[in-house]
Amino acid sequence: MTERLLALFQLCDSNLPTGSFSHSFGLETYIQDNTVTDSESFEEWLSCYLEEQLAYTDGIACRMVYDALEAGDLDAVSAIGAKLHVQNLPRETRQGTRMIGEGMLKLFSRLYDFPFLTDYGRLVKEKRTVPHPAIVFAITAHGLGCSREEAVLYHFYGTVSGLIQNAVRAIPLGQTAGQMLLNRIRPLLRQTAEKALTLPDEDFGLVAPGLELSQMQHERVNVRIFMS
Amino acid sequence: MTKWTGELILSLEDRAGKTVARNVYFQGAFKVMRPIYHDDSGKVCYYLLNPGGGYLDGDRYRMEITAEPGAQVTLTTQGATKVYKTPKDHAYQETTMSLKSGSYLEYLPDPLIAYKNATYRQKNIVRMERGATFLYTDILTPGWSPDGGQFAFDSVRLINEIYVDGEPAVFDNIRLSPADQRVGGLGFMEGYTHLGSMIAIGEQTTDNLVDALHGLLAETSEGDQVKFGISRLAVPGFSIRILARSTGKIEKMLNACHKRISEEWLGLTPASLRKY
Repeated sequence: MTERLLALFQLCDSNLPTGSFSHSFGLETYIQDNTVTDSESFEEWLSCYLEEQLAYTDGIACRMVYDALEAGDLDAVSAIGAKLHVQNLPRETRQGTRMIGEGMLKLFSRLYDFPFLTDYGRLVKEKRTVPHPAIVFAITAHGLGCSREEAVLYHFYGTVSGLIQNAVRAIPLGQTAGQMLLNRIRPLLRQTAEKALTLPDEDFGLVAPGLELSQMQHERVNVRIFMS
Repeated sequence: MTKWTGELILSLEDRAGKTVARNVYFQGAFKVMRPIYHDDSGKVCYYLLNPGGGYLDGDRYRMEITAEPGAQVTLTTQGATKVYKTPKDHAYQETTMSLKSGSYLEYLPDPLIAYKNATYRQKNIVRMERGATFLYTDILTPGWSPDGGQFAFDSVRLINEIYVDGEPAVFDNIRLSPADQRVGGLGFMEGYTHLGSMIAIGEQTTDNLVDALHGLLAETSEGDQVKFGISRLAVPGFSIRILARSTGKIEKMLNACHKRISEEWLGLTPASLRKY
């Protein structure tokens, strides 16, 4: 258990070199138009991003990947990757997510040689699927012996702590304010991870219109420190 | 097997520069009016109508549209899609569209109005060959309620699945379930009441066109309180979303884009489709 926990700490580190520090997923649009200005308004954005976007994309995808791995069906994993890619209508977040997925796959493949991870890496290399962070994380967590509950929760935690670090730089917020938020959002993380596991397939990729629009608008935001 | 409340099967082909029906079949509570040629381009326009006036509890509708190579078709509705209360079972509409290479199909339905306590699901499945062009719009309204309240429906779900040469190209899944979402909040409807979408897929898509459409959207929004975005898809094409406070506003913005796309892709200025 301790060994697995230590491994997970590493995978969830917000300093993980996957390129996610370059992407705000539309947050920067809200910062530029002064909708997100402080810890409170950022928490509103982050809660919505977690509950209305991540749960229906990464959350459901993690669960589906676990189903597919338990059935030994890597073709299903490829299909989930393709669907995650094309449901992401804003170009920058779609390309950014792909880049983070690639970065994560490259790094995790250096750290671990789980057979599914190797096979998935080959599918990506052969362009038979589009890499996605939720899929890379789920396959790696599965290899580490995590339950699906742990996989979703830790993936959410890693994503959210990375976004908080980005917000600390961009809004900006104090480092302590960032840590307080990470502490405060824990119940919502657990609740959303639990909920994500019960969501039906038909909810896959549900859109939060405002978030999606801000991700589209980011292409034309004047001052940009993020690529999405 | 599903028993369909209304069914429509329509396949279109090009005959010497004019698009004509090869097969038209409808039964139950679905009808198409006779084809209309708005100009001498050969492009045909079909108006769908629902003689019952709206969708009722448990209704099931199915459409199957095929555009053969060279066919150019506009498919629209005669009025808003109204979904009345569905106390027992949701209303459902499923549309399958097949586009052969070199065909042009635009599906431009009127807004969706879901009444108090209505649950509605709509699924569009589009299978395109590379070289076909597809254009789609929809407008989701806050519905209708006897007491004038907004978002009184139970749930509305719109799904668009688009494949190009069998590969996933777009997957769009929208659900408004006002009771269990913070519909008004940041990241969701954000105080707006109407959501408009356009999805366009065509090899002809250029960055210039996308920039021009962005400019048109900004111009036609006239500084009103709207939020809009346009972005290129994973395949040649783009999507537009608009959050606004009226159907008219979204129609005006989408119509301006539609006109520009028709001029650029078909060399045509589209006729006004609206009939009231």
